[in-house]
Amino acid sequence: MRGLSIDLVYELITQSLAAWHVAGAIELTGDGAIVIGAKPEIRIEPAQAGSVFRWTITIDGRMRPAISLLAVLRQVRGALDPGYAACRVRVALLPVAPS
Amino acid sequence: MMAIELIPVSVLTGFLGSGKTTILSHLLRQPEFSHTAVVINEFGEVALDHDLIEKTEDSVIALTTGCLCCRVRSDLTKTLQDLLRRRDEGACTRFNRIVIETSGLADPAPILHALMTDTALASRLVLGSVVTTVDAVAGEVTLEREAISRKQVAVADRIVLSKLDLTGEVEASLHNRLTALNPGAPTSRAVYGRIESDNLFGVALHDARARVLDISSWLAEAPEHNHSAHDAEIKSFAVVRVEPIQAVALTLFLEALAEHCGADLLRLKGIVNVAESPQQPAVIHGVQHVFHAPAWLRHWPSDDRTSRMVLITRRIRREWVEVLLDAISAEVAEVSASNR
Repeated sequence: MRGLSIDLVYELITQSLAAWHVAGAIELTGDGAIVIGAKPEIRIEPAQAGSVFRWTITIDGRMRPAISLLAVLRQVRGALDPGYAACRVRVALLPVAPS
Repeated sequence: MMAIELIPVSVLTGFLGSGKTTILSHLLRQPEFSHTAVVINEFGEVALDHDLIEKTEDSVIALTTGCLCCRVRSDLTKTLQDLLRRRDEGACTRFNRIVIETSGLADPAPILHALMTDTALASRLVLGSVVTTVDAVAGEVTLEREAISRKQVAVADRIVLSKLDLTGEVEASLHNRLTALNPGAPTSRAVYGRIESDNLFGVALHDARARVLDISSWLAEAPEHNHSAHDAEIKSFAVVRVEPIQAVALTLFLEALAEHCGADLLRLKGIVNVAESPQQPAVIHGVQHVFHAPAWLRHWPSDDRTSRMVLITRRIRREWVEVLLDAISAEVAEVSASNR
């Protein structure tokens, strides 16, 4: 299994934009952030150490926290894909062992 | 406490004139189908000689505007509840199986959703197989013209080629088209509506009780298939992982698929090596944004412990699915490690 790296997140964001048919130049910056050059511009970076959140997303200058990559994807798509309406269905947590 | 008997509900679908009713008429004359209740999602084309026919009053649903999905679901749910009540009261034969014959124009997905998500029904019924009939004579033209027929094929657990009495052999092009749409579904042949009934409506693996069935036939490996131009949007592919997947990662992965793919995820089925349960694999099954509660097999069906998920999709990139699972798994592993 691949470890979680900013490169993997970069690949995820790249593939996600392609999957959603959303345009935007994606750049991996020297300080370990991912910047999506689109309207609005989006910056994704790991949250600061000690934060309860894992990611920080800056959309048009406004910072928002995200607790997981799923939340990152939701925010990115919400900002870039005007036709996107998040499905409110939630998958019940898989029981970790047979009952 | 006495265990409640779960009754399998199978769905017989297929485009208009593809032979659903003829095949069902034949099947219902077989002794093994003597305790079968039939729900017809269309006013009968053939008078079925059977005492357990329920008719949903939906003849206009497929043609009206509004929420087709909700309408189908509420009507079907009510019909099934009435059927169960009559069975409990002894007002009809104590059937041990239900077959729903859909309208030829019906999208089977809402029907599957109703069966998978209604909590009252879930305590009594379990989704069986989805069987799709395809006219061996006109099937190729229908598949080309009618998107709903492609979807009916895409969600099938088994495909029945009908009207072989008219054509004799199946054109290779039709066979290839069906394989491209749904490589995992075995194909049966019907001549004059007659078909070997063994396992036709066998309980599928998404039945929580089905712990000993043939995984390989249900979960046929699906290398990525390329399609002819008109099916270019529908793809099937398998996602395989050697390392076990944490339960939380699997849940988040399915949630992401449901959230971002919605109706474009035509079908997902899989056997998964869940890290927390290495001896008992989980069987997952989803149609569009709805996922059935996972079933746990008693044991692995073979020495192969890899997780295998087959997806039949429309406009969903395999590369995205692969990296999505990798990234979510990696994040869950990192969080788990930091919590230790």
